[in-house]
Amino acid sequence: MGKRIYALAAALGVALAVLVGVSAGAGGTPGVTSKLISIGGTAPLSGPASAYGTIPQAEAAYFSYFNSLKQPGGKRGVYGRQIQFTYLDDGYNPAQTVQLTRQLVEQSKVFAIFNSVGTETNEAIRAYLNQAKVPQVLLATGASEWGVLAKKYPWTIGYQPTYASEAGAYGQFIVKKVPQAKIGVLYQNDSYGKDYIAGLKKGLGAKQSQIVDMEGYEVTAPDVGSQIAKLKASGANTLCIFATPKFAIQAFAIAAKLGWNPIVFNNSVSATPTLMTIATASSSAATTNGTITATYTKDPTDAKWANDAGMKLYKKIMAAYYPKGNVNDQFNVYGMSAAWTMIRALQGAGQNPTRASLMASLRSMNYNDNPFLLPGIKVQTSASNPFPIIQQQLTRWTDGKYVNFGPLIKS
Amino acid sequence: MSRGLAIKLVAIALGVALVVVLGFTMTDYHQYQGGIVGYYLIAILGLNILTGYTGQISLGNGAFMAVGGYTTAILVGHHGWGELWTLPVAAAVAGVAGFLFGIPALRLAGPYLALATFAIAVAVPSLAKRFDHFTGGSSGILLPIHTGHYLYWASWICAGIGYVVAWLVLRGRTGRAFRAVRDSEVAAVSSGVSLASYKTLAFGISAAYAGVAGALLAIGAGYTNPDTFPVTLSLYLLIGAVVGGLGSLWGMVFGALFIEYLPIYAQKTYFGFAFSKQAPSVVYGLVLILIMLVMPTGVVGLARRIRRAI
Amino acid sequence: MQQFLQQVVSGLASGGVYASLALALVLIYRSTEVINFAQGEMATFTTYVAWQLGHWGVPFWAAFFLTLAFAFVFGVAIERVVIRPFERGPVLTVVIVTIGLLVLLNGLDGWIWGAEIKSFHSAFPTRPINIGGVAFSLQDIGVIAVSLLAVFVLWLFFRFTKVGLAMRAAAVNPDSARLTGVRVGWMLALGWGLASMLGALSGLMIAPVVFLDPNMMQVVLIYAFAAAVLGGLQSPAGAVVGGLLLGVMLNLLGTYVHPVTPELRLPVALLVLLIVLLVKPSGLFGRATVRKV
Repeated sequence: MGKRIYALAAALGVALAVLVGVSAGAGGTPGVTSKLISIGGTAPLSGPASAYGTIPQAEAAYFSYFNSLKQPGGKRGVYGRQIQFTYLDDGYNPAQTVQLTRQLVEQSKVFAIFNSVGTETNEAIRAYLNQAKVPQVLLATGASEWGVLAKKYPWTIGYQPTYASEAGAYGQFIVKKVPQAKIGVLYQNDSYGKDYIAGLKKGLGAKQSQIVDMEGYEVTAPDVGSQIAKLKASGANTLCIFATPKFAIQAFAIAAKLGWNPIVFNNSVSATPTLMTIATASSSAATTNGTITATYTKDPTDAKWANDAGMKLYKKIMAAYYPKGNVNDQFNVYGMSAAWTMIRALQGAGQNPTRASLMASLRSMNYNDNPFLLPGIKVQTSASNPFPIIQQQLTRWTDGKYVNFGPLIKS
Repeated sequence: MSRGLAIKLVAIALGVALVVVLGFTMTDYHQYQGGIVGYYLIAILGLNILTGYTGQISLGNGAFMAVGGYTTAILVGHHGWGELWTLPVAAAVAGVAGFLFGIPALRLAGPYLALATFAIAVAVPSLAKRFDHFTGGSSGILLPIHTGHYLYWASWICAGIGYVVAWLVLRGRTGRAFRAVRDSEVAAVSSGVSLASYKTLAFGISAAYAGVAGALLAIGAGYTNPDTFPVTLSLYLLIGAVVGGLGSLWGMVFGALFIEYLPIYAQKTYFGFAFSKQAPSVVYGLVLILIMLVMPTGVVGLARRIRRAI
Repeated sequence: MQQFLQQVVSGLASGGVYASLALALVLIYRSTEVINFAQGEMATFTTYVAWQLGHWGVPFWAAFFLTLAFAFVFGVAIERVVIRPFERGPVLTVVIVTIGLLVLLNGLDGWIWGAEIKSFHSAFPTRPINIGGVAFSLQDIGVIAVSLLAVFVLWLFFRFTKVGLAMRAAAVNPDSARLTGVRVGWMLALGWGLASMLGALSGLMIAPVVFLDPNMMQVVLIYAFAAAVLGGLQSPAGAVVGGLLLGVMLNLLGTYVHPVTPELRLPVALLVLLIVLLVKPSGLFGRATVRKV
């Protein structure tokens, strides 16, 4: 008798599976209809990396805003097609990323995978997307490999300045302006941290030997007290922090506690004004003052941009479409800059976009008017340059805000 | 042939037919998902043997999945083995690891055992990063990509084998010994059952199943790195086993379906209302607690109660 | 030598953090024999409540004590509503329920308050103190001092008050306790309420150091388990000693033993947990229990 129940359940299961399995297959380019372009991506909305989860939400806000605008010709969207952006939570687990990306491609039939977050997560889906000839575009990770391997994986293209180029800028600066530096490095023990180190060494060139100590930590470490103590004990007078936000802030707090006041280079991911404010509160103004980082997006807390058209647009979109988000979080500005770039690239893909035409458009970008990036920073690609953004601005944390200095650095 | 046996055989035949039919009619993506359900099923079958039949709580079977998964990844990614040939190796390596863990675990019981197994689940990602010349560290190892169809058949054929093996093990002397250990260790010892042998055997078998599941996970994802076997995997396996109904082999199918589909359905939009994107965790936790309240003996227990009530 | 002392002092500071959460774990285990996997998340949740109060303009110390009061009620409520239906059942069911709580609270934190890091005001000044080249701050001492004070208060409570005695009776032998008029159900709830308060205290002290985000306690929880087991799951004093010992040991191993690279700190802590469980499950301060057949 009980077994009959199982059999019934099995029969129901078949019915369900058949119903669910029926896919709406239409001809033509997947994800493109006369009214819609459908794109998708994954991000860690839960779990340890969930601070990055605000990025797709800011992008969704931008797309909603864009969809509401009337373009010349009276239609809305890109040549009359509105953008539908679906983002899913992978918890930073690459196995989940693979499953969800397959779902987006094969079930939701998206046109392209846009701004998926993470280095390893994107590595996990790269071969699959390239094999299926699905664009994997404007990735939210600064690993260098996306550009370096552009010939092998033509359907994949990165976006932001690489971690290596950022650290290279620090290295170059140290060589020129801090020649007596004895450098200590705090790094996260994964490809993110190691990419930074590689870039720093390259930027230092012959002066690599000035690195006196490198201390790594795991994301599972509750604190980095031991590492900072060791770095101080090594005699370093310059500290490079290649750590994610929580640990970077701790580094400041512990350095202050130990009475250590090195010249600090903080990686851009952990150096947003919001985070630096927390760092200052947890350590002291003396510790954080003078910290140098590199930036390429406009800072929402900088009074300089108060009347800037791009910043005003950012704040308007945040208020209207993402009021729950933190308007001071630079990650949101980053997200919108990527969404803006995506729209331009889609427009460049022609009136009847195909996946190939999107990639062609992305590989020949030349936009110098992205309202969310610092003035002068171009989004530019060509056959010989697969890295969309390569310029950065060095900036110094001074008395509670950032002051940009020096020219735009290209790497 | 007795009536009960006939019904059982019919049910099994229907089940097999269903799996075969779905394996040819569903879309490739649904077969991919079906393949994932298949390897979760293998993992929680093994866990059921350990926890449901032998009474040993394990919060660490995800760690044995990692052992199997990395075995496959290293053999395929670094040494060019064919994926399916690595499955028995993954089972063996994980099984041995489980057996070895079972030896010190003999001294632990109840919450202490839960804690110890929880510890290994937590330790595995860090260990995988430490021994990075084997494991590729946090950058992981890439494997060839396959269709959903491939994963589906690999998983379900292994699941079928897993069921047959479980049935054979559990119906015989070993199964009786396992149940004796579960029901009363004191009585078991008094009847001459060697606690040590059977407990470690249960760990070994459970780990071997997990190893195969982990290998299939690696093959399905085409990638392994420490983040693909997080602590939550171990927790979800136990959840799946309990929701399905411990001590029942057939209930495990429901458990596997539950842990695969709940996160997906929690992220969808229903009639224009979307849960917050943080929702999967909230829904998961709530559903879990409610299920424990309403049907603590799992789906199978609920089915039995309905049957008796009808 | 200075490096050694510095690592010891930093280790004591980290250890104080583990100790404070370990105390909560020990209290629940001692009063209800439940290993509460959700302890860390309960602590995080109450810390968010404190943050919210501060955000609404409630002055620091008022928010502090309000949060402790809330935590007590929260703990009691969880025991009565969520745990009570499963008390008499198998251990496994309770384990699953606490895991469900863990997952639920973690998601709830992110849902209500978002996932970005928030700064948190410390109860103690963070000004560094330097003695003989070894630096620490009042905050570090404060964390350890509060944990020790909590242990002392607990000891007084269990030893010298009627309620404390009733709680111990309810934990050790609920049926006999019931016969003498102890309301066992409420004693268990009280245990959870007190433990939740301790967890909240732990969160309030830890948040300024590791910063407030939904996953703040996840890693600390594991070290806290190791500390609690090391000290003895039944012993509050053991929890504190275990925590301090663990912190120092991890720092020294990480500094002086080269194969112990950063990735191994967590596995080492877990190895300690495993070794203790195998060799002397009652920990450093616990008494071995003998099961009579």
